[in-house]
Amino acid sequence: MAIYSFWIFDRHCNCIFDREWTLKADSSSGTTNSKQNEDTAKLIYGMIYSLQSISRRISSSTNSVKTISTGKYRIHLLPTTTGIWFVLFSDLKQQDLSQVLQYLYGEIYVRYVARNMLSPVDFAESTNETRGQGFRKINNRNFIRAVDRFLGPMVSQL
Amino acid sequence: MNTASTNPNTLQSGVLGGISSSKSLKAFGETIWKTKTAKVNAELFTLTYGSIVSQLCSDYQRDFNKVNNQLFAMGRSIGVRLIEDFIARSALPRCDNMVQTSEVISKVAFKVFLNITPHVTNWSSAKDAFSLILDENPLSDFVELPMDAMKELWYSNILCGVLKGALEMVQLDCQIWFVSDVLRGDAHTEMKVKLNRILKDEIPAGED
Repeated sequence: MAIYSFWIFDRHCNCIFDREWTLKADSSSGTTNSKQNEDTAKLIYGMIYSLQSISRRISSSTNSVKTISTGKYRIHLLPTTTGIWFVLFSDLKQQDLSQVLQYLYGEIYVRYVARNMLSPVDFAESTNETRGQGFRKINNRNFIRAVDRFLGPMVSQL
Repeated sequence: MNTASTNPNTLQSGVLGGISSSKSLKAFGETIWKTKTAKVNAELFTLTYGSIVSQLCSDYQRDFNKVNNQLFAMGRSIGVRLIEDFIARSALPRCDNMVQTSEVISKVAFKVFLNITPHVTNWSSAKDAFSLILDENPLSDFVELPMDAMKELWYSNILCGVLKGALEMVQLDCQIWFVSDVLRGDAHTEMKVKLNRILKDEIPAGED
């Protein structure tokens, strides 16, 4: 399996989208915006946040973490200037998925969320939902379908 | 919208290296305008905006203060979305200071969305406020203000709202307003941008 999961975090430190694939053979398997992934999302956010602040302290404020590799998987990260994080988990064979992340941002997020005037663009409705306390997700059918159509073929890639 | 034909990473590293030099930003804005922007008829745009303003004027019974505020609010909700489009296309990093911000606004943002490049002048001594002089303004192309609107209506006020919303999303809390407008008989169309403060990035609860 080439891709394991895909996450989006907004500038309020909330996970606003998660997609996890469970079966290599079936790219429609797995969960979307699952409640059970809430704790995992918080852990992922915390890990990236810490590494990000270390790398910024060592170099400059524009220096950001791009990939994180462990023994079993690799994390690819695209932080946007507006403070959204696009996070993709893959196997170790994938060296650089920054183009994929850029496409997910520019052609899928911008098209189906930012340009969709009926979808919220800020997923925290009050200050109680900021700083990682929020629960709202991207539920647009078009967005979810576009993500699946784009990433689906990569799930079982060798 | 057409898809990106150029590699965003090569563009990004080029601009990151040369963001201080205004010449490369200008070329950068032109490249995005040429390669990544779908074009529409400017007259259609001008007339659509005109009909929005005239509808607002009649809805608010020619209370032009209310019209100004409404245009600003509309612009703001456009701006908070447009910034994502802008960042996705340009992949520009955060600016270090207002001088860089002003360059990006005039040479890249206005170029990409309206195909104009306003001048930046009238810097405050603290370098936190500047003016944008719009020599040409596609919003007000065929417009002549009626006598009663001349004193109060800021015809292109939506632009202030757009800038306000967009800058807020990159953590710059600004105040933006029109100082003069050729439609009101002034010599230039001048828009003032003043930085109130730089907002802090949020940190997860329990981190401080």
